[in-house]
Amino acid sequence: MTAVRTPPQGTTPPPRLPVREKSAARERGGGLSPMLTRLAAERATGVLERERGSLYLAEGKVVHAESPLAPGLDVLLLAHGTLAPAVWQDAVDRADEEYGVARLLLDAGRVPRGALELCHLEAVFDAAYFALTPSSTPGRFRYGAGHWLGTLRPVPVEAVERETLRRRELLHRLWPDPLTDGAPLRRAETVAAPAPTARQSAVLASVDGVRTASDIARELGRQAFHTLVDVRRLAAAGLLTALFPPPRQHRPPPAAPPLHPGPAAGPAASPVAPDPDPPPGITLPRVNDPDITLLKRLRDALEAL
Amino acid sequence: MPGIDECLLEAMRLPGARGAALVDWTSGLALGAVGEFPGGDHEAAAAEAAEVARLTAEQRAFAPDGYDRRDGQDGHGGHDGQGSGGGVADPPVEDLIISNRDSYHVLRFVPTSFDSSVFLHVWLARPDGNLALARIRLGEMAGRLVLG
Repeated sequence: MTAVRTPPQGTTPPPRLPVREKSAARERGGGLSPMLTRLAAERATGVLERERGSLYLAEGKVVHAESPLAPGLDVLLLAHGTLAPAVWQDAVDRADEEYGVARLLLDAGRVPRGALELCHLEAVFDAAYFALTPSSTPGRFRYGAGHWLGTLRPVPVEAVERETLRRRELLHRLWPDPLTDGAPLRRAETVAAPAPTARQSAVLASVDGVRTASDIARELGRQAFHTLVDVRRLAAAGLLTALFPPPRQHRPPPAAPPLHPGPAAGPAASPVAPDPDPPPGITLPRVNDPDITLLKRLRDALEAL
Repeated sequence: MPGIDECLLEAMRLPGARGAALVDWTSGLALGAVGEFPGGDHEAAAAEAAEVARLTAEQRAFAPDGYDRRDGQDGHGGHDGQGSGGGVADPPVEDLIISNRDSYHVLRFVPTSFDSSVFLHVWLARPDGNLALARIRLGEMAGRLVLG
């Protein structure tokens, strides 16, 4: 085990596509969202709503970010008892334009400033990572909209974009398959896998064939990106895999028995609107979001050449 | 109560301090940085320091006796209940010291009551740097940063 230096699974980065180089994206001014770059330049205040999350700007700087895929500041602070839920709720109820939740909590001495800043910054970069994923719909900016949290530590737009790009590369280096980021995860049988770390073990213990990385993050009160990192490392080690193709309904994964209700009756009968399944005998990989996203990124990169 | 910037500025008052940063060791993100950094790029320095910190924090060899057992108790996310307030992110290692011909790097892990993976990174010029003092002060700062 020690003499032969076979590269452990997944740690060897595959050959890089030159088009994915950071410099190419940087030259285009961040390259993640031209709209965001423009809003930063005009020092806009408001909220940029994108498919997978929102960025709140104040005078062109990012003051807050939210994404349904990332646990919010409240989850991070409440999950392990840093704040009591009642205290948080009280601050949310009392917050107004002048006194945001952050200021109320700090003034009342409910949470140390360093802890709140740290947790908030982490939450902002975490949500921004998802909010800035390539999307199929254009973003929308609402001028003037503030956030009830209030301003803590504004972050320049370039810093958020740079960090988001760096995070994408980091994940790609760990394990170049993005499928585990969004799909339900299941444990994999493996031989001679490296022992997971303590933090990875907690993630692995929550893997049940239904939950996604984001679900696990919320359950553990952890940042979603941290969970993505652990999940990719676990995938690289062969300890877990994504369900593919991802199940569309909340049914347990193993190939749903095709009921064949007949083409006309199908969609109307069930509220879940089952996908048109491929005809039996042919197994086509279902076209799903990660693929489209990858193609879009590829297209964007090619256009940037 | 100090925020991140106040904490880093305090670290810069250590004898010989050249740069100070608060870094997340899972993502490599610099949550704050003041002063200068090797190579002139604090983000690159943070990412590299984060990698060392992560490896150190993950090795069982460096954990204190009984750490695994304690960790097993509140490492359970599902049933969670109360983490009894006592530090969810309680890193197994306190600090990490790296020295070279002209400088010291001191990495101090920061325990927090919420889930996180952060450390304070201070770069000290070797002629003026005082490791014993830096260790003590960074420990105090880490405590004040998140406990008030």
